[in-house]
Amino acid sequence: MTRDAGTRPPGHLVRRPTVGTPDPGPPPGPHPARRRRRPARRWSALLWVAPAMIMYGVFVLYPLGQSVQFSFYEWDGIGPATPAGLDNWRAIFTEPELLGSVLHAFVLIFFYTVLPVSLGLVAASLIRELRIGAFNTTARVVLFVPQVLPPVAAGIAWTWMFSTDGLVNQTLSAVGLESLTRAWLGDFTFALPAVGVIGFWLSFGFCTVLLLSGVGKIDPSLYEAARLDGAGRVAEFFAVTLPGLRGEIAVCATIGTIAALASFDVVQIATQGGPGYQTMVPGVEIYRLTFLEQQVGQASALAVFLAALVLLVIWPIQRLGRHE
Amino acid sequence: MRTTTLPRRSLRPGRNIALPVVLTALLASCGAPGAQSPLSDTPTDVSTSIGDEPVTLDVLVSTPDVPLYEALGEAFQGEHSNVTVQVTGEDFNSLTTNVPRLISGTEVPDLVRLASFGNLVEDKLLTNLDPYAEAYGWTAWPQSQFASTRVGDDGRQRGTGHLYGAGPGFGLTGVYYNKSLAEQIGMSEPPATLGDLEESMGKAKDAGLLPMMVNGKDGGLAYPLQNLQMNAADGTQVVQDWNYNTPGADIDTPALVDAATTLQGWSDEGYLPDDVNSIDQTQAPARFAEGEGVFFPSGNWQAPVLQEAGGGEIGFFLFPPDDAGEPFTAMTAAGVLAIPTKSDQPDAAAAFLDFIQTDDGARQSTLDLLGLPPGGPEDASLPDSEPGSLVAGTVESFQMLLESDGLVDFMSNSTASMHANTLIPQTQLLVAGKTSPAEFSAAIQKDYEEAEK
Repeated sequence: MTRDAGTRPPGHLVRRPTVGTPDPGPPPGPHPARRRRRPARRWSALLWVAPAMIMYGVFVLYPLGQSVQFSFYEWDGIGPATPAGLDNWRAIFTEPELLGSVLHAFVLIFFYTVLPVSLGLVAASLIRELRIGAFNTTARVVLFVPQVLPPVAAGIAWTWMFSTDGLVNQTLSAVGLESLTRAWLGDFTFALPAVGVIGFWLSFGFCTVLLLSGVGKIDPSLYEAARLDGAGRVAEFFAVTLPGLRGEIAVCATIGTIAALASFDVVQIATQGGPGYQTMVPGVEIYRLTFLEQQVGQASALAVFLAALVLLVIWPIQRLGRHE
Repeated sequence: MRTTTLPRRSLRPGRNIALPVVLTALLASCGAPGAQSPLSDTPTDVSTSIGDEPVTLDVLVSTPDVPLYEALGEAFQGEHSNVTVQVTGEDFNSLTTNVPRLISGTEVPDLVRLASFGNLVEDKLLTNLDPYAEAYGWTAWPQSQFASTRVGDDGRQRGTGHLYGAGPGFGLTGVYYNKSLAEQIGMSEPPATLGDLEESMGKAKDAGLLPMMVNGKDGGLAYPLQNLQMNAADGTQVVQDWNYNTPGADIDTPALVDAATTLQGWSDEGYLPDDVNSIDQTQAPARFAEGEGVFFPSGNWQAPVLQEAGGGEIGFFLFPPDDAGEPFTAMTAAGVLAIPTKSDQPDAAAAFLDFIQTDDGARQSTLDLLGLPPGGPEDASLPDSEPGSLVAGTVESFQMLLESDGLVDFMSNSTASMHANTLIPQTQLLVAGKTSPAEFSAAIQKDYEEAEK
């Protein structure tokens, strides 16, 4: 069933304004008035913002600026640095190992974002049908548990589960799929998807719970209206649930995508980038460049590039999540 | 819907990006990062006396070595009542990671366990031990034991130049074997030649046994590889020059291609575990001690544990040469301790270094607790090990190696990133058949040259 303007419940068009959304825009009014009031407001506002600005400047902007600065040097982190021009930046695009790590991070977006959001939507729709009660609560708790585990702990646990005689292979053998068993994290084809599964496991619960809370805030009358219009479950999902969860989906997608592109802990614990360079991601590469190779300049260039890349990827997601 | 929408203003990239960019540009125009005037690394007045003032020696080593250094510290305190030896352990990988920052900071340990020198000598963070070597008479000892801890004036080339580290004992690689499994395949004594070893692995495969346990996840494949390379090269000079960063050193030779071909062949034949690339150095000895694998190439540091776990079933031999009677070769490295330039107790630290190399009790502890045969003066007494035990076997092997002058540093130690960034992934690609021996050999040399730039 596709979305059809005719069957869309009228309530959708007159959605209540979202509660609690900060409204940063200036109050509507003629420009001259704004201009007149502005100076005084700006100075007093600055006083309030100053402590936060100073903290932000010292702990975010300054290190960021330093990273950019380092990226133009060849430096081991201790001794004197020598200017390197654009060499470090050029290497990102010419070294197959560095560029490959960026591509792996994009593969992980599928596991950290696409899968958890799609399956989270399904799970949230199903749990919505459950009556509030013990089972509903249990479902939420079970789904959310991975979220309270540090990714490092999850990485260690999954390393055991993916091992040759681990839970994954035991389960496969038990159901007669012995031919599929392998050392997942040591397998050239399956190592990256296996790492992705750990990431999926970590973000699935968060997405489901966030989407569930979003579902709870959709006006029930919309569902009633959809039912009255003769919509089935699927039609209801596409006409009511999905549009109503636009904001939540954007948050899940944003957080998941950042986690995928900036992934470090899970990969470092589970595979250290191996086998070969099969699961190397920028986070691990930056760590290695800095601490093992003592190439702080090259690491900084990759880190700044990664930050810019994250912003670039997140931006359209944010636009999609915006309410008209 | 509190969490669902980010403030609208944050969606306008122009204004958001402008501020950081301006600040960044300002910052980027500041001076170059890093130290501008290096420290001096050569102590001017050294003394072999510790004095009577209370002294606390901070010793930072990797976690498994803590019991040994605590024992050594206690023995040292017995001799010098005014000294307190404080031992701190850190996981080997994080130690390697943190050492440059630790010893360039303000709270600097007096002795630190090193894995590789990297830029530490160039940045003048380590004390030049030449004056102490002179004062304590280390110069009269067999000098090959100090070769790997000498660094040239360029801060790169090793095996020559000033002394920057010394240690209690020596690591040594060879091959462990499971005696009862060996008996099953009719192998009554350790293989004398590479051909014998390969024949035994073939028999083990036919008998349904795993021929060789090895930890491919974290670099265990590099041991047989380097031995095969030295066999094929008929000598150790090429790899030694390469390890020591001798100018122009090149390991991309037919010998390395041969070695890679052999190792890849072993994998193709099914001599290595199916999950070789996900086995780490904790799992490998444990699985080997449980009876998985006839052979296990590794180092003498595993001997005390395997001796206990294997119940006398495990033996040790040096990696065999191509033909019987040819000299043996093995990878070895001193467990290196260095004195940071910023240590304020260099005299006491040097006295401790001298003590652990010369004191009989200390040398015994080194062998008992870590399985490492000690170096030291030529006429020093050899510590006892239980006759016929695994540890005794590794000590005998060490004596054999000394006689055939076959001690070579690890390829992993050639550059700071060789182990993690090159040898581990490349050997994994090799045994998985994802790279050819020639490509493998070229990649090793390429990464080496890049790190040397």
